[in-house]
Amino acid sequence: LPAGLSQWFPALEVLDVSGTGLTEMGTELLSLPCLHTLLAKNNRLGGPGSLPKGLGQAPLARSLRVLNLSGNRFSEVPPALLQLRGLRSLSLGGNRLHGIPPDIQELQSLEFLYLGGNFITAIPPELGNLPSLRYLVLCDNKIQSIPPQLAQLHSLRSLSLHNNLLTYLPREILNLVHLDELSLRGNPLVVRFVRDLTYNPPSLQELAGRTIKTRNVPYTPSDLPESLVRYLSLASNCPNPKCGGVYFDSCVRQIKFVDFCGKYRLPLMHYLCSPECSSPFSSASQSSTSQSESDSEDEASVAAHRMQKVLLG
Amino acid sequence: MEQPVQTETWKARSLEELVRILHQIFAEDKVSVDEVQALMESYESNPEEWLQYAKFDQYRYTRNLVDNGNGKFNLMILCWGEGHGSSIHDHTDSHCFMKILQGNLKETLFEWPEKKGNGEMTKKSERALRENQCAYINDSIGLHRVENISHTEPAVSLHLYSPPFNSCNTFDQRTGHKHKVTMTFYSQFGERTVC
Repeated sequence: LPAGLSQWFPALEVLDVSGTGLTEMGTELLSLPCLHTLLAKNNRLGGPGSLPKGLGQAPLARSLRVLNLSGNRFSEVPPALLQLRGLRSLSLGGNRLHGIPPDIQELQSLEFLYLGGNFITAIPPELGNLPSLRYLVLCDNKIQSIPPQLAQLHSLRSLSLHNNLLTYLPREILNLVHLDELSLRGNPLVVRFVRDLTYNPPSLQELAGRTIKTRNVPYTPSDLPESLVRYLSLASNCPNPKCGGVYFDSCVRQIKFVDFCGKYRLPLMHYLCSPECSSPFSSASQSSTSQSESDSEDEASVAAHRMQKVLLG
Repeated sequence: MEQPVQTETWKARSLEELVRILHQIFAEDKVSVDEVQALMESYESNPEEWLQYAKFDQYRYTRNLVDNGNGKFNLMILCWGEGHGSSIHDHTDSHCFMKILQGNLKETLFEWPEKKGNGEMTKKSERALRENQCAYINDSIGLHRVENISHTEPAVSLHLYSPPFNSCNTFDQRTGHKHKVTMTFYSQFGERTVC
């Protein structure tokens, strides 16, 4: 960036330096108090010094709303970027990212996050802590699974997951009430009924914990060591509506198919409290069709209501 | 459409002229697919002429009506943000011309699924369409998916459909199951359509 930029244009609000071959953006940025949009796509940014030091203390940290760094050479999200607290829209599409830092949750105002076209293999659960996020693009990466915490993105309207390595989705995805669009094509989604047969039987501690929870055995923090009080608070509810039981660490992973709008069958991962806790038809039926029809009727009607447009393919 | 005896070689020097010549061609009883395709391709995209129709949406691609061809055709501009793509769809027995005005689009052709489709749909071919190139498809050729696979550049395309249609089928690539959908316009004649 040319030296003296902030002296010549102190009222600068939009700066577009895309396609200029920039390798770093220096301290000139720090003195632009009105800048709300910075477009720097298709450059050679990505090395140290791509973003100036002291970004978190600069006026930019509060004023910047839109940052486009797509088509550069970032192999990690620069930590300085996470100090831009006012950021609403961030694009790092077409870079060389291998992951997403958990501190992404610092960007509490984020509404639009584009991370398509990178080498991302996993998603941190902290990504679910962005309450204003409406549009999340993760397409064209190497993602193998979605953490259930993404279901906490209650503002999410559009989720792009196409061309990844997903075999199933967490069932919590059904909780995204405002999700209008979901793209899943180009993933090796499981199409046949799968049951994980490696079930580790619950420990005595787990069995005791389950009994306390399901029979509502009363206790106070003074009755138990702190570690057990904490343990009891981690109980998860078995999603089988006919069960009502809980589990702690020992659970069965099972893939169930849920019909959306009577058209698509999505494989969702369920955690059940025991192998017996699946459908009445579980042992008898080998056919995935009857299995999913009987199990997922309730879920299917809920899902059909909530997800109107599933762009599977 | 059938081949008329004489095929004109048109050169549209502006978007306005393109529309004018299209009206002329479609006023006839018989229209040639090759003629329309050549005409569309002859127009050299000039953003100043179509920027007013190019309204982008953050979440998905938009359809912006430019001209309704006296009922004979619909001419519209589609705006594709980074990563935006369509589902696999048919063209309701109409002719579809697609010209790239800006950026690039990837077109993937698919075979029609078997009657009671129950398997992965068969990809026939795919290609990258460049600026000013004009592609053509109809139901007898097959189905297609159109996508802007760029993560850095938006894309804009000019589409002509004849006869006009407002519903089509979308297909699930994994199963071949189809589903009828109604399409809407994001804007018409440069004005945002209120939903």
